[in-house]
Amino acid sequence: MEPLLRAVNLSKSFGTLPVVKHISLEVYPGEVVGLAGRSGSGKSALCMLLAGLYNLDQGDIYFAGRKLRSPFRARALGVEVIHQKPDLADHLDISSNVFLGSEIGWPSMVKWLKVPNQRRMDKEAARILIQLDMRFSSLQEKVANLSSEQRQMIVIARAMTRPHKLIIIDDPTLLLSYPYQQKLLSLIQTWQQQGTAVIFSSNNLDHLLAVTDRIVVLRQGRRVAQFHTDATDREEIVAAIVGTSDRQQLTPIIWALDSYYRAREQAEKLRHSQALLERDLAAQDTLKRQLIDQLAEQINALDSANAALQAAQRRLLTELEKERKHLAREIHDQVIQDLLGVNYQLEEIGTDEAVTSAVKDELVDIREGIRILVGDLRRICGDLRPPTIDSLGLGAAIQSYTRDWAERTGISLTLDLDSGLGRLPEAIELSIFRIMQEGLRNVRKHAHAGAAQVCLRHTSPRALMVSIADDGQGLAPGFDLSKLSIEGHYGLLGISERVALLGGRLSLQNQASGGLLLQVEIPHPRVEVTRQSDEM
Amino acid sequence: MDERTGTPSQIGESSDAFRLLKWTWRALFSRQELVVFILLVFVATFLGLWTDTFFSSNNLFSVLRAFSWIAIAAFGESMVIIIGGIDLSTGAVMALSGLISAIFMRAGLSVPLAIVAGLLTGGAVGWVNGTMVGRIRLPPFIVTLGTMSIARGIAFGLTGGWPVRDLPQSFRLLGQHQLPVGPWLVPLPVLFMLALAVLVGLLLGRTLLGRYIYTLNSSERALLVSGVNVVQLKVLVYTLCGLLTAVGGLLMTARLGVAAPTAAAGYELDIIAAAIIGGSSLFGGEGSIPGVLLGAAIMQMLRNGLVLLGFPVYWQSVTIGATILIAILLDYWRRRHTL
Repeated sequence: MEPLLRAVNLSKSFGTLPVVKHISLEVYPGEVVGLAGRSGSGKSALCMLLAGLYNLDQGDIYFAGRKLRSPFRARALGVEVIHQKPDLADHLDISSNVFLGSEIGWPSMVKWLKVPNQRRMDKEAARILIQLDMRFSSLQEKVANLSSEQRQMIVIARAMTRPHKLIIIDDPTLLLSYPYQQKLLSLIQTWQQQGTAVIFSSNNLDHLLAVTDRIVVLRQGRRVAQFHTDATDREEIVAAIVGTSDRQQLTPIIWALDSYYRAREQAEKLRHSQALLERDLAAQDTLKRQLIDQLAEQINALDSANAALQAAQRRLLTELEKERKHLAREIHDQVIQDLLGVNYQLEEIGTDEAVTSAVKDELVDIREGIRILVGDLRRICGDLRPPTIDSLGLGAAIQSYTRDWAERTGISLTLDLDSGLGRLPEAIELSIFRIMQEGLRNVRKHAHAGAAQVCLRHTSPRALMVSIADDGQGLAPGFDLSKLSIEGHYGLLGISERVALLGGRLSLQNQASGGLLLQVEIPHPRVEVTRQSDEM
Repeated sequence: MDERTGTPSQIGESSDAFRLLKWTWRALFSRQELVVFILLVFVATFLGLWTDTFFSSNNLFSVLRAFSWIAIAAFGESMVIIIGGIDLSTGAVMALSGLISAIFMRAGLSVPLAIVAGLLTGGAVGWVNGTMVGRIRLPPFIVTLGTMSIARGIAFGLTGGWPVRDLPQSFRLLGQHQLPVGPWLVPLPVLFMLALAVLVGLLLGRTLLGRYIYTLNSSERALLVSGVNVVQLKVLVYTLCGLLTAVGGLLMTARLGVAAPTAAAGYELDIIAAAIIGGSSLFGGEGSIPGVLLGAAIMQMLRNGLVLLGFPVYWQSVTIGATILIAILLDYWRRRHTL
């Protein structure tokens, strides 16, 4: 297939500072290509070059087979660009800004003399903005008064005003809150389904892993690696971004849990100061360069330690699950069977003529006791290892568990399962099950709730959202996750650790209506999600 | 807002009246056109009372005729100023375009073709200005200073410094003929000016070109990233300015009946002054055609009034210069208070 965009050997310098060095890139129709790299790695500059806003020092850009001379006007070709910072005409109103550069009006032939049809633009802009969940009291408002998030969403709306073949997205998520970030991700998927190619530059690996087909990693203006998203993992990409190659030399140091968190914080700080220092490098100060090398080494060491720790933790959890499975099997195959055998023997004895009726009553009591015991043991087995999860999958396991739970606790529970859940790797299925189990245990023990709601949905083909909501008392004010271990509450902490190990995201918040909303988003390998009609 | 003005009862009515006064003051000064209009009425009344000739229709139309070509050129200039530029070459372009037409007419070319040649001359100088400013990104002040000198030099060089006389009657009519409109005989240039005012006003107020012109200075990047051809826009605005200036130059030549290389000397200042007094901000983004009309009227009335009052002609340039400075100060003051 012919590539839609072919960039060959692009180079660009600002003065003496090279920002893009010999980068080549091909993008095919309907493909989402991610650009990853630290800030300053040349992602934005590359986007600007591909958007035709910078003059090329060297290299060629071909679009649909035609060579372009930069700077060019990207929108005339069907290329839309969403920049990091929203550029709006401050004294124009919202709908004029949405349609800036593609105004509807008459006559459409002579562009300069076109008289804009404000009413139609208002109507169309309202339609697009509603798709983006943006509501304004009036579209005649001047954009100068809007928040950065609103401005950014207007720029996204601008990209939707006319047919597009390629959309270049240069990390606009910095200015967006979580729901609008999700909106953008789902838009990217919609665009992809429509056959539009997308170049998505982002600092957020979760976003890249969720929607891209391919991730190109840039470091110091060079293209250093490319990964197929389905065949890579976070560690591999991070290693390419920071430039370490010694993944194999992971020294298994086991640290105490809180020092692990402190170390992670430290690593963030170091990374930040490294970024700052790197900016000073333009001065070519050798001392600083040495310092940066040292810092980079330290960061590498910390990264390795983190990775080792995570691997250890993961092993621990796997062992734990294995142990539980073993225990469950032992109880089920050995103890329960033995008890049933004893029960049978007692029944035999009961039918004996020589036994007095007093002893017979006694025996009936004992057998009743054994039956209850077996029931309890079965439940314990189920808790240790959900019996259905291996055979029927996560959905079935959760269904049976929640039914059981509601019966046991008397709290009414509604379950909302994604119909296209599919089978996930065992570790992920188990983790999600444990998270849900732990979450429901919290609801029972602490929330004083009368009703709860469990929801499992795919937010993208590579991410699953688990949310547990209740109508109980919610989080106490001043709640702090990191202090839980000191107080001896390991439930939520366990959830957060499992989530961290899976590279997911945990959010805890009180709902407006009272009660706690626990949301966990877990990335996983791509499954074929059957899109539902309500997804727009 | 209503609540806030209503609640402080102890201050009472006097403060409301004061606030109203303040509001009126603000409203007045936020629309410079209004200030200029009041000033115009004031100057006109003063001149009418002081001299007995000012309000004669003869004098009024002579004022109007003289200011019409300044105003027409100022329409173009104000567009350039709104996009944050400036055009110093307007006076020279007026002279050059009139002279080129005159030379072609004397060479036997038909009047309409000669007029087209004059207009093309103005457009060409404007195109050069726009290309230098828009494509090569040179500062407009320097570029137009250069083209001003070049255009004036060409005007002198073409005729060796001599004026071109004896222009065809049909051409001179354009500047000298008067059409009866109601009870008055209105000079043709005034009608041209009004027609162009409507045309340019519609262009600025209704079309995308106008919208982009007002947007360019403050939000050039927004236009750029949304795919508007900003370079072409700048070239277009400077070319339009050159074209309108040429119209003014041709009308001036037709009225005077002679094309001199020295004509319209110093007019660029009058033209810029007309635009600025009329509310075009040197900081870009603001300006209107009615404002330019009022500005040009004030400038011409000041010149005319000073003559009627018997001042020596040298003091005219002092008055014009002072008026420009006051207008710019007012603009600056207004910016600081509204932003």
